[in-house]
Amino acid sequence: MSEPYRYFLIFLGALLIYNILLIRFIALCPLIGVSTQVETSIGMAMSVLFVMTMASAASWVAWNYVLKPLGVGEFLYIPVFILIIASLVQFTEMVIKKVSPPLYRAMGIYLPLITTNCAVLAAATESVKPGFLKLNVAYHFSLPECLVYTIGVALGFGVVIIIFACIRERLETSPVPHTFKGAPIAFIIAALLSLAFMGFANLLGL
Amino acid sequence: MDENTSGWHEFSKGFIIENPLMVLMVGLCATLAVSNRMENGIFLGLAATFVLVCSNVIISSIRGFIPDQIRIPIFIVIIASFVTIVDLSMKAYFPAAYATLGVWIPLIVVNCIILARAEGFAYKNTVWHSFLDGLGMGAGYIGVLLIMGFIRELLGTGKIVLFDKTIISLGPFNPPSIFILFPGAFLTFGCLLALLNRYKMRKSNE
Repeated sequence: MSEPYRYFLIFLGALLIYNILLIRFIALCPLIGVSTQVETSIGMAMSVLFVMTMASAASWVAWNYVLKPLGVGEFLYIPVFILIIASLVQFTEMVIKKVSPPLYRAMGIYLPLITTNCAVLAAATESVKPGFLKLNVAYHFSLPECLVYTIGVALGFGVVIIIFACIRERLETSPVPHTFKGAPIAFIIAALLSLAFMGFANLLGL
Repeated sequence: MDENTSGWHEFSKGFIIENPLMVLMVGLCATLAVSNRMENGIFLGLAATFVLVCSNVIISSIRGFIPDQIRIPIFIVIIASFVTIVDLSMKAYFPAAYATLGVWIPLIVVNCIILARAEGFAYKNTVWHSFLDGLGMGAGYIGVLLIMGFIRELLGTGKIVLFDKTIISLGPFNPPSIFILFPGAFLTFGCLLALLNRYKMRKSNE
């Protein structure tokens, strides 16, 4: 398998075939909670892309240069990764606030939410610690592979949350049965979208 | 309200009135992902309840010493320690279940239910009430997991298998496997929510 093709497979697998929201059900809370408007969904998607990439990179470094050489990875990886993510989020928030106030106003409210967004921890754990990844390409990722994987996951999150928000905006004006108003119909839509994404299964032998 | 009735209230509110999944809509991801079989639901439910009860007790017993500004990182570290206990013991004693649950065990850390109860309840209440709250919320969580698992496994495979024993079998019919696949989770949960809505509307009409 040639090198660029491998990257392509990792990216596509993370983006579509194992889509984090619809196929793996990670990070559903923002999908149901935030995706009522397209604009907020775009903000959320951008912030997730940013934080997730940094978190995975930092976790990769921590795992390969600190946890693994010291032999404490097996039982310390959960607290270490989550602390890395939490402090990164705080740090990002401070930097953005200082450097670009407009961006902060656009992204600010989502940043604290991202700490408990399971997608970030999931992407970091899967791309760094061996044994969790379902993708049929490698047991252990190098740093660039880890980054490609994470960006794929984050874009997969963004694509779905934006599609979902578009549908929900239209839904506001459509006649929905009384009992299904609000969250229930959102889940039914998610089911249909998920059905569509299942069509990508086994694409390119992944 | 005397001590006993309020204790019962803290325990029982998790079942329906404040059910973490159906009413508060937190911690959805894991529920939808692992509820394709009843057995998975039992394991994940017990693991999450253990973490929930322990972290509630510890947090409420040291709530006098926690500085307000850094309470969230402290909560997360406490929760992460208990999750590590679950992670390692499950890997040792139930390797098969661990293999199917995979990344969902470390992801208990960011399960919103646990942080929400730590922040919203244990931080402000006595140890005994926090213990009951954790137990009740855990029971409500397991309850929904079991219902979802029951519906999905029965419809999707035509039988219920618990610990290698077939408990219920629908006999010869061709089960729609969509229910154990991804869209089935969204569909089942959406319909459950709609049922609950209907029940609530009936009640308010009376």
